[in-house]
Amino acid sequence: MRADEGMDCHVLVLGSGGAGVRAAIEASGYGDVVLITKTIAGKGGCTPMAEGGYNAVLREQDSCGIHFEDTMKGGAYLNDPELVRTLVAESPERIADLIRWGAVFDFTENNEVAQRPFGGQRFPRTCYAGDRTGHEMMVTLIDRLGSTGVRIMSEVAALDLLKDGDRVIGAIGLDDSGELITITADSTILATGGGTRIYDISTNSASGTGDGFAIGYRAGAELIDMEMVQFHPTGAVYPYDARGRLITEAVRGEGGILTNARGERFMKRYDPERMELSTRDVVARAIVTEIMEGRGTAHGGVYLDVTHLPRQQIEEKLPVMLEQFLKFGVDIRTEPMEVAPTAHHMMGGLRITTECRTTLPGLFACGEAAGGVHGANRLGGNALADTQVYGKRAGEYAGKSEKRVKKVDPAQIRQQEQRITAFLDGKSNPAHVARELQLAMWKGAGIFRTAGDLNTTLGTIAGLSGKSLKATSARNIIECCTVQNMLLTASLVCRAALLRKESRGAHVRKDIPQNWDAQNSPFSHTYISQGREGIEKKGGAP
Amino acid sequence: MKEIMVKVSRFDPAKDRAPRLESYTVTVNGGARVLHVLHAIHDEIDPTLAYRFCCASGQCGSCAVRVNGEPVLACMEEARTGSVIEPLKLPVKKDLIVDLLPALAALPPIQPKDEPVMPTKQQIDAIKPLRSCIECLACVSVCPAMDVTSFTGPTAMREEMRLALDPRDARNRIPDAIEQGLFTCTSCQACWKACPKDIEIPGKAIEKLRALANRQGRTLPRHQEVAALVRETGRSVTREKPTLLEQVGEVIEPYGPVKATVGFFVGCMYNMRLPQTALDAIEVLRRNGIRIVIPHEQICCGSPLIRTGQLDYLDTLKRRNIEAFVSRNIGTVLTMCAGCGSTLKNDYRTPFKVIDINELLTQYGIEPPAHLPVKATYHDPCHLMRGQGIREQPRKLIRQVVDLVEMPAICCGSGGGVRSGNPEEAAALGSRRGEEIKKTGAEVVITSCPFCEFHIAGHTDKPVKNIATVLLEGYKEKDRKVKSAH
Repeated sequence: MRADEGMDCHVLVLGSGGAGVRAAIEASGYGDVVLITKTIAGKGGCTPMAEGGYNAVLREQDSCGIHFEDTMKGGAYLNDPELVRTLVAESPERIADLIRWGAVFDFTENNEVAQRPFGGQRFPRTCYAGDRTGHEMMVTLIDRLGSTGVRIMSEVAALDLLKDGDRVIGAIGLDDSGELITITADSTILATGGGTRIYDISTNSASGTGDGFAIGYRAGAELIDMEMVQFHPTGAVYPYDARGRLITEAVRGEGGILTNARGERFMKRYDPERMELSTRDVVARAIVTEIMEGRGTAHGGVYLDVTHLPRQQIEEKLPVMLEQFLKFGVDIRTEPMEVAPTAHHMMGGLRITTECRTTLPGLFACGEAAGGVHGANRLGGNALADTQVYGKRAGEYAGKSEKRVKKVDPAQIRQQEQRITAFLDGKSNPAHVARELQLAMWKGAGIFRTAGDLNTTLGTIAGLSGKSLKATSARNIIECCTVQNMLLTASLVCRAALLRKESRGAHVRKDIPQNWDAQNSPFSHTYISQGREGIEKKGGAP
Repeated sequence: MKEIMVKVSRFDPAKDRAPRLESYTVTVNGGARVLHVLHAIHDEIDPTLAYRFCCASGQCGSCAVRVNGEPVLACMEEARTGSVIEPLKLPVKKDLIVDLLPALAALPPIQPKDEPVMPTKQQIDAIKPLRSCIECLACVSVCPAMDVTSFTGPTAMREEMRLALDPRDARNRIPDAIEQGLFTCTSCQACWKACPKDIEIPGKAIEKLRALANRQGRTLPRHQEVAALVRETGRSVTREKPTLLEQVGEVIEPYGPVKATVGFFVGCMYNMRLPQTALDAIEVLRRNGIRIVIPHEQICCGSPLIRTGQLDYLDTLKRRNIEAFVSRNIGTVLTMCAGCGSTLKNDYRTPFKVIDINELLTQYGIEPPAHLPVKATYHDPCHLMRGQGIREQPRKLIRQVVDLVEMPAICCGSGGGVRSGNPEEAAALGSRRGEEIKKTGAEVVITSCPFCEFHIAGHTDKPVKNIATVLLEGYKEKDRKVKSAH
């Protein structure tokens, strides 16, 4: 093991999605930067899979004030207003960075960045590159990253953060041959993305396993609103193994309509004003209600239909959707898609300031790993903007932090060595444990929740967490660590869901009657750390 | 649920000398992809199986593998029982995991201008078809040029062209592209056909870069000579012996009743270098009821110019050729040169239908020839198989006359101006063909392209014959038998 002969840098970035790479680019202006990622940089995370778009106020008829209001309202007023204000104010500058660096967003006939309508927004402010917007951003960012001096370590997984007292001083990682690596840093940025792989049905890439939430929690950071899991209304329902695959909101943005098995355009019963372009929480619940009440399709979904749109519009604006469905034998130009909700985004995460500082000195967080920006429900198009605005900020403030002498605690290294060794003597197949967890979470901590179900799920998680995971090869060690992170993240979701005794945004407690709407809720964030947990009352006081 | 048996390549460079194929039988859901079969093996049978994946929806390019030799994205390709799953042809780290990083690092970065420039919609729309690359490196895994010469590869060329189209980029991309091997591409189209995003790299990037190179005076001297010859004589090769057109009339009637009338686009090679092969083909066509009209004013199709980016004279060639057939009211034009056929079909907008001789003969059916006791192998011409999608028809014809043994379909190295411009590379690819031919144990090599025929003949000790020639030998043998029976 190479743990003793560690590396040192000014800023260490964990994660290579949109937020991590943006952070690394920014931080590289302040000192030497190392980026570690458990995938190949540019291919992991959910940014390259993000399809629909990037919200930015670019037109005179639009305003940051309206973007702010839309985001707060969409987030059921649980968002941290300062984080939202920063998001909407800086999103236009960050898309300008991308365009300066070569991003190929779609343009209008007037040679301006094109924008499409997205759910919950009063102005069509979602910029896009067809339906491969995130991919476009990612190739641009990776291109830019290559021109910085950032040292990229692909296929190295972060296991845990290194601590010197309360302060985070880097991380300990594991490469694909099973070697431990320590990297000390003056500042460390968690940009590890989300974690909806803890659910059976999810849009996330294989890397969406909640690693950052678990790593942050184990290091002592505080997380907020972990119960807030966005279920995207439109995921694929068949074939079985493609279940949950994202069907972008751009399909509805371009004019797609939702109908049930009886051919009724059912959104008129749930949100007659905004119809298909209501917020995701509302549309997801509407679809589930239709299915549960027996108006679903044979495959257990509802129809999402674009056959009334011109073929050219589908081919140009939704090429990835067209290609993916064709691969599965459905031509969306002539047949409707079948869709149902799928776990998509974690609104909760590490508590951050507008400078991306977490509750631990030396640790920054940005992107989906951080909480507070999106409140109880994220608007489509705000996540990509979030990666750039807060990725840049995390890189900047981490970069500006002072240089320090770091002292690695050998006991921490030994602890990781023991953790790894234990897997080699383990008994349980990590793939089977993950599978049981995903089914339990879908059943007990999904769109509709009760205290009973959540407690049962926590019991299942505790049982699974007690199993000794087995690694047969060096590569399996990472899989075991990942399953541990999934179990911990899932437990945080359930615990937070029990703490929030109200229905709000994406979180619905069927067992709790309530006589207030989101704006008049007495509650603010839930919070969880190793030391404390609870729910804040309005105004921020616990 | 269904049962699927696959063979998977297993290899640990630390322990194994060479990869081996292991068989696995797993139960998967209906509609499962190759990735789900790999998951099932890993989760239920052998957790040490190493394979890479991430988005599982065809967007990240992590999981490309070869299934039965062809690169695919494991997450999108439907799993079929009996498949052989192997890594891409890149350095293997373990099992199906290959080292992608060197090829990814070779992609050229943008060099932003000091003063920011905004692209126009028109420029954006031009760039977009080259932008959907997910860098899975399927193209790099199939590129024959990369195997034998210094070439950064298809997707690097795609990126160079995308940057050449972008007003935000400050760099002249052409010297870089040439340095990286712009003129080593044989235009075999393997990269395009392997691309899960269907990016037409040869036509949309490489030929376009070569055209830009032409404008900068950087076309290879040997290619310039060909262009000068075409301009001067209308032909891409010099006259060394009586041409086909000098030997035949304008209309050739079949022996029996007329099944179809076609115009015949002969092409420079069959006209001037291999006229006997064209005469053989004419005999086969006559015997099978095809009436042939041969306008004598036809000239070079322009393929050697298009492939090498020399486009100034192209419109003249196209106009004169189209006019030659249109003036005779010809509805279908026959090609027997794979390169001409591909050019007329893909680079021309013709008011007539273009049909390859293999298509024509299988469409109308042929009089059965005698079956010769000969073991033959078939070389797929790139411009026939990938350029025109014609793969089965030649095999159907060949099997009627000889025994066919297959070999892998790989470029012989003669296309894309490489034989003239990069003879060493062409020779290296030709030698590889020679080795494959040897492996089959065939006595004869059959193909259906004059460039392939000519080039492969220099790299094997076996005779290389056109399909038409072999069919004609079958007819002659049939006639001999009939005669001796009387």
